[in-house]
Amino acid sequence: MTYLVSLFLFGLVVGLVAVASNPAPYFAALGLVVAAGVGCGVLIGHGGLFLSLVLFLIYLGGMLVVFAYSAALAAEPFPESWVDRSVIWYVLVYLIGVVAVAGLFWGGWYESSWVVVDGLKGFFVLRGDVSGVALMYSFGGGMLVVCAWVLLLTLFVVLELTRGLSRGALRAV
Amino acid sequence: MNPYVLAILIASLGMGTTITFASSHWLLAWMGLEINTLAIIPLMSKQHHPRAVEATTKYFLTQATAAAMILFASTTNAWVTGTWNIAQLSDPTAVALISIALALKMGLAPAHFWLPEVLQGLDLTTGLILSTWQKLAPFALIIQISPNMHPAILTALGLCSTLVGGWGGLNQTQLRKILAYSSIAHLGWMIIVLQFAPQLTLLTLATYIVMTSAAFLTLKASSSTKINTLATAWTKAPSLAALATLSLLSLGGLPPLTGFMPKWLILQELTKQSLPLTATIMALSALLSLYFYLRLCYAMALTIAPNVNNSSAPWQLLSTQSTLPLALTTVAALALLPATPAVLAMLT
Amino acid sequence: MTPVHFSFSSAFILGLMGLAFHRTHLLSALLCLEGMMLSLFIALSLWSLQLEATGYSAAPMLLLAFSACEASAGLALLVATARTHGTDRLQNLNLLQC
Repeated sequence: MTYLVSLFLFGLVVGLVAVASNPAPYFAALGLVVAAGVGCGVLIGHGGLFLSLVLFLIYLGGMLVVFAYSAALAAEPFPESWVDRSVIWYVLVYLIGVVAVAGLFWGGWYESSWVVVDGLKGFFVLRGDVSGVALMYSFGGGMLVVCAWVLLLTLFVVLELTRGLSRGALRAV
Repeated sequence: MNPYVLAILIASLGMGTTITFASSHWLLAWMGLEINTLAIIPLMSKQHHPRAVEATTKYFLTQATAAAMILFASTTNAWVTGTWNIAQLSDPTAVALISIALALKMGLAPAHFWLPEVLQGLDLTTGLILSTWQKLAPFALIIQISPNMHPAILTALGLCSTLVGGWGGLNQTQLRKILAYSSIAHLGWMIIVLQFAPQLTLLTLATYIVMTSAAFLTLKASSSTKINTLATAWTKAPSLAALATLSLLSLGGLPPLTGFMPKWLILQELTKQSLPLTATIMALSALLSLYFYLRLCYAMALTIAPNVNNSSAPWQLLSTQSTLPLALTTVAALALLPATPAVLAMLT
Repeated sequence: MTPVHFSFSSAFILGLMGLAFHRTHLLSALLCLEGMMLSLFIALSLWSLQLEATGYSAAPMLLLAFSACEASAGLALLVATARTHGTDRLQNLNLLQC
């Protein structure tokens, strides 16, 4: 389990390197998908099954589809992948930088935990994170209202930004 | 824009700042900042002009980055110390990160480059909201964490902001960019005194809001966004042109006007803390700012534009703009200096 | 510093560096923001899981809602920029330079 979680953590960093090294948006979205996938793995390794499920369904299923769609709309004839000359140097520099910083902390690692939640699971019926998220509907009701409000607000923000007057070069509506 | 949508946006703008004020938890404070940013975006790009959309995009990118950095720093703090309380931010890495993030959010000097460009792309009313109301929430946070902040960071941010604010405005002809640089310089004054007397920071923020509201509303009343339009401002409202020079000088901080009060008290506080070099640099950089305010005054009061504009003096036409806020803020920007002892007694 | 702490911190800082340094497309910048938000989600979840602060598991959900709002506002700005400037390249956002 420890090896698997370490592998997932490494994958998270590599996924972010893939996003940050300025490839075409097409490939950057792919890197983000990989990062979100291994993020799910990290959460499972720590016992957060419900949070991992939420990350998988909402993040990968919802948002990244939209991002992949936008990337497809903004596609170029010759997208730069990670092996192109303009990108590979950034990938190498970022990877070397991460390894160097990790080496800086070498010896200072302490294994506080691969402790998983539910250390007390003999006393509970539900998993810890499920009951924690369920608190959002009772004690955290105010936060739920704030979230609902901001989602409504975003609806209007998107509406006002994308429809509009006849200014600019391309204006269909 | 539909008035219902406008009402929702304005209400959210108020709610975001209120949430940040009321929160003692970093997550909630971050939520308030995010609501604030989201709510002002449609107001900024209301005209759908390319400049407005560009300014909105730049504003969104910087604010989203700064908010994410704030949340990351507080997560680091929670990971090390186990608390999410705003007042108990004690991990040095987190404090340094959050200082940088708040500087980016407000437009303090090493991270100020977005502010003039964004302000240039907006109309004057939205620019007024951006440079007054949007500053309140970050200031609430920075005042709460100021006892734990590193003094060197604060001093560097403050000095850098006043110098950049003075220097950057020298070469500008666009009024909104000049006001943006004046905003940067005033923020520098607020930050430099934060570690010694946070109540003076609040005082400076209040007077700055009053004075910059007067300046923005004056420009809106005379509908001028460039220096050469200012030369015909007297044909539009002669008495306003006379008073506008005074409120500009008040922004510059000349003695019988309101703007002198914060500068006076801050210089006194810095001298009391035996920092004469810092106080001298601050006072000298105020001269740089004063130069471009004086140039605006010169264009407004001493020049006559080489056209026949005065033949059709537009002041005869009835204006539809509401002049009450302009009158109130102008009076407050000119004549609050005698209230200094009362203000001091209230703040301490 | 635990390996978990190091991993999500370096992931966030990589996203931040990517956003700050070299962006050619606005969409790439938005993807970097999303990457930062992803690492924050993982950080908040792991904080509540490792400290057994199960009541805190609601915080990542709230974060997810807000990051969804931010992403959709960013994509709407992408559409608006593409309409007014004709492209989503960040070099074209140069109308307001000093």
